[in-house]
Amino acid sequence: MDYALDIFMIAVSGMLINNFVFYYFVGICPFIGVSRRVDMALGMGGAVTFVMSIAAFMAWAITTFLLVPGAPITRWVGSLFMPAAAAARIDLTILTYIVYIFVIAGSVQFVEMYVRKFNPRLYRSFGVFLPLITTNCAILFACLTIMSHIVGVENPSEIWGLGKSLTLAVFGGGGFTIAIVIMAGIREELDLCDIPVPFRGAPITLIVAGILALAFMGFAGVDAGLRQAISGG
Amino acid sequence: MTDQPTPLERLIQGVLPENPVFRQLLGLCPTLAVTAGLKPALTMGGAVAFVLLSANIIVSLIRNLLKPHLRIVVFTLTIATFVTITDRFLAAYMYTMSKTLGPYIPLIIVNCIIICRCEVCASRQSVFTAAADAVGQAAGFTLALAGIAFVRELLGTGMILEFKVLPSFWPSWVVMILPPGAFLTFGLLMGLINWFVAYRSRNRKPGGNT
Amino acid sequence: MVISDSRSKRRRLPQAWLVLVLAVGLGSALAAVHVTLSPVIAANRLNETLARIPALLEPKPDPAGGGRASSALKIEPRDVQVKKKDKTTFYKVYQVAREDHFLGWVVKAAGQGYADKIELLVGLDPGIKTITGLFILDQKETPGLGNKIITAAWRDQFAGKNAGQPLRLAKGDPGKHNAIDAISGATISSRSVTRIVNQVTRDLRGTLGTELGKPES
Repeated sequence: MDYALDIFMIAVSGMLINNFVFYYFVGICPFIGVSRRVDMALGMGGAVTFVMSIAAFMAWAITTFLLVPGAPITRWVGSLFMPAAAAARIDLTILTYIVYIFVIAGSVQFVEMYVRKFNPRLYRSFGVFLPLITTNCAILFACLTIMSHIVGVENPSEIWGLGKSLTLAVFGGGGFTIAIVIMAGIREELDLCDIPVPFRGAPITLIVAGILALAFMGFAGVDAGLRQAISGG
Repeated sequence: MTDQPTPLERLIQGVLPENPVFRQLLGLCPTLAVTAGLKPALTMGGAVAFVLLSANIIVSLIRNLLKPHLRIVVFTLTIATFVTITDRFLAAYMYTMSKTLGPYIPLIIVNCIIICRCEVCASRQSVFTAAADAVGQAAGFTLALAGIAFVRELLGTGMILEFKVLPSFWPSWVVMILPPGAFLTFGLLMGLINWFVAYRSRNRKPGGNT
Repeated sequence: MVISDSRSKRRRLPQAWLVLVLAVGLGSALAAVHVTLSPVIAANRLNETLARIPALLEPKPDPAGGGRASSALKIEPRDVQVKKKDKTTFYKVYQVAREDHFLGWVVKAAGQGYADKIELLVGLDPGIKTITGLFILDQKETPGLGNKIITAAWRDQFAGKNAGQPLRLAKGDPGKHNAIDAISGATISSRSVTRIVNQVTRDLRGTLGTELGKPES
């Protein structure tokens, strides 16, 4: 029951309250560049969510089983060369960022290959976004958030398992999709407006994003209230 | 090769005319995230400068050995290594700042500025040129970040770097240091700069005013 | 076609070597950084907490104490588990003594605030009868409003309060015995901190309070 509550809170928080675009400022480049039409925005959002989930799964798995001190695989391999106690202390977390970025690049390649082979129609609609996603901050940010809940956490009951990590990835990507689709809808209307020349393009998009961020601030504190309402505390 | 800009020209270009943030629209994530205060903005500028300079120099040194299909792997590996070094260095010697900047230091790895400069400049030019380019772009980036941070911190708290600048009757516009303030400040400043650039180029035209 | 194939294969070999050499070079740089800086970082993380402890237990250092430096403090960290009906809560507790004189406890606790998790340190006297101090380690509350929980002025209210009964939030008039004045415009942040402190005193009263009189071991 407690676990379900935690998952629910991570989902709501990742999607609305701590929205990746309007609170954490990640994924801004595609947000400004790709959000011209709603269907393109939806495609981009879907692609990002999909790749984010795969990358989050791999990031969680590699961090938990390979990188942290005391990880099973590292301990087993290490125990072949050194006493078990020393093997349990091998700390590979210095390699985290390098591993993550290659995992993300690999996930993108894998998704691109798979979609191109098995669903050419889908590939035509959002395949063009896939190479852009590798440098999308949002995916690396999701992996880093998951890492921060595994590495260096003193309380073993608070270390994130696969469920919580995937929830963050899926709902974080969903929040990104919501943001980019809303933005695309607004920009489609904005194209019909008479905007002063210096503000056309990126500046007006950023100002609109600011107003949207103001709106999303309305969600602040909802998680505290929800948690209290549900757990009756 | 004679029509390529000289190293000095590259350096100066990077600061304002080809500013990575306001003109090229690269590296926007940290621009919005760390500019709530002037100190985090300057620290981030310094971190990006270190990574950009190191990556440019290394890539430029091995540019003749790089073949097209390995480029991205090599760039990514180099950049990720230097970002890790920067992150650890900050955590060791500027611990509170490292906590403030949080995940935005590792996000330098996917900062488009660095990959773009490696691709466009460092993989084709000599070490000195690449270094000059890096310094120019990093200076431009830091300037942009500092500019936005200055506005946000001043209007949001009335203070700059712990010094109270505005008189005490100033009602701090808290929204400036919150996310909406980041977007609004950045958008308005960019519009201003666009207007200024258009104004300058209008005045330089032979048939224009003055 | 065959010629260009073998030529391209020959070209790929030095490139594979390039990536390998680069990886080894960068890898050793990373290893060097790791070995030199990890202890510094770990010390930073620990000191963040330890540096606060003296002020939490002795808010006004005794001027007549002469040369008793805070380096004479003996701080012993312990992990305490408090089992309740359906869940177990972990607390990091620091047992603090100076020259065989048991000064008290400092407990690191966390809880949900308005925006995100709030992490704080509570100072308690040896018998868990009085709260001696409060320090906010980590918070992400609204700047300018909920943020004010980190100010010394607000936190000092907790010093000297009775740990035997739960603290209550009073708006504007903290005249009552066990009341904390909420920050105007930041009731939820104030309430969250008070709730966390109450939880600490309630959970640890039974476990640690009975350690009174036992020699620090």
